[in-house]
Amino acid sequence: MNAKKGIPIFIAILFGGLTLLGLLFNLPALNNLMLGWAGFIAGFALLLGILNLLYVHSSRTIKKKNFYSAILVLSMLGVFILAVTDNMGLTDNGVQTTFNWVLAPLEAALASLLAFFLLFAGFQMLKRQRTIWSILFILTAILILVSNALVVSTLLPQNINQIIRQVQQVIQNIIVLAGMRGLLLGIALGAILLSIRILIGLERPYNK
Amino acid sequence: MTPVITLVIIAVLILILVLLMRRIQAGSVVALRPLRGYAGLRGQVGRAIESGSQLHITLGRASLIGDASPASISALTVLDHVAKDGCANSTPPLVTLADGTLLTAAQSSMVHGYHQAGRSADYDATATQFIADNTDAFAYSGGVASLIHQEKVTSNVMVGRFGSELGIITEAADRKQIDQVIGSDDPNALALATAVTDNLLIGEELLAAGAYLEQAPQQLASLKLQDILRWVIAAGILVTAVLSFVL
Repeated sequence: MNAKKGIPIFIAILFGGLTLLGLLFNLPALNNLMLGWAGFIAGFALLLGILNLLYVHSSRTIKKKNFYSAILVLSMLGVFILAVTDNMGLTDNGVQTTFNWVLAPLEAALASLLAFFLLFAGFQMLKRQRTIWSILFILTAILILVSNALVVSTLLPQNINQIIRQVQQVIQNIIVLAGMRGLLLGIALGAILLSIRILIGLERPYNK
Repeated sequence: MTPVITLVIIAVLILILVLLMRRIQAGSVVALRPLRGYAGLRGQVGRAIESGSQLHITLGRASLIGDASPASISALTVLDHVAKDGCANSTPPLVTLADGTLLTAAQSSMVHGYHQAGRSADYDATATQFIADNTDAFAYSGGVASLIHQEKVTSNVMVGRFGSELGIITEAADRKQIDQVIGSDDPNALALATAVTDNLLIGEELLAAGAYLEQAPQQLASLKLQDILRWVIAAGILVTAVLSFVL
């Protein structure tokens, strides 16, 4: 094995092992040191991401004359200038105001559209395949949606309200929870074995 | 559980993994259960190559540092596979992501894909795009959706950690009537994905990406060990349940 491939494997195994020991034997000094380094790398990686965003959209603006990319580049530069002027005391809370007035409403709008997209996707699924499972999926979704509305309603008699609550509890606390736990157990097993493969150098996502 | 017991369990698992790996290297065959997600992925890579258009792959919002890193590592394995075939056939995938740590790894996958194809000079840095920070789910999903609308892509592959924002991206792909493959370890995202496509990689199926796509002995051995552990856990649950009734 040459040094170019060997050094990353050595670093991965060493730091993987140290992190594991730090967590198992509760060594706060070691854990904090590792977390600090990981945080520094993540921060630097975020900076690389922002530079990538600027580079990609500047290229698209210049080469493809893409209008949306030009808007993005201008917005990025605008927010950056606001951050600088905020810091110098020339503007007051400029970045936060931009977030509150532009980003937050846009994200709220997207989030509110999500429910409609999901309903639409559900009916598309029913159109795509009319199997017992797809029908069951839609029926359960509708049942939970309707029952959520009905349990808070004061128009329904108390005993019917009670039955709806029980049906809802059976679906959520038994059927859904059992499925979720099965899913999470499988994920946990997969994650443990992937971690072990990385710890002993059998899996090398960093070493292409 | 004391740390020593945990270390012993890890050592035993490593020992079994190595033994299983040796058996596979010696010629023992591991039968893999067919998974629609991987079959769909192979089909989409093939169609992208035939039509000469790009495949879009997004790697989710998880960092390589943190509890969701296994999903991100598996997403990178899927990218390796897609990049290898795409770069060899002049149809490199369009890669989007929402974490800086994933960016360098994804770029490395693309560089490696071109290198394997003997076309290192063709590498295009703009094909791997950071969309938004992972703390901003809707900015990420909005950015990816807009890219799907603007670019000529034949299919949409979503692998990694997603939340409910997955619905925004799948809607954009659905409007463009392109095929989708979705793999995640998040139960909420999977519930949404079920309504969108049949090509699903559910939780541990995504984590088995290496075994299905690369079929290296260590990955097949790991999958085999995972099956053994699953039976042990299932038996443990059943025995505990029976004992709680009896005692």
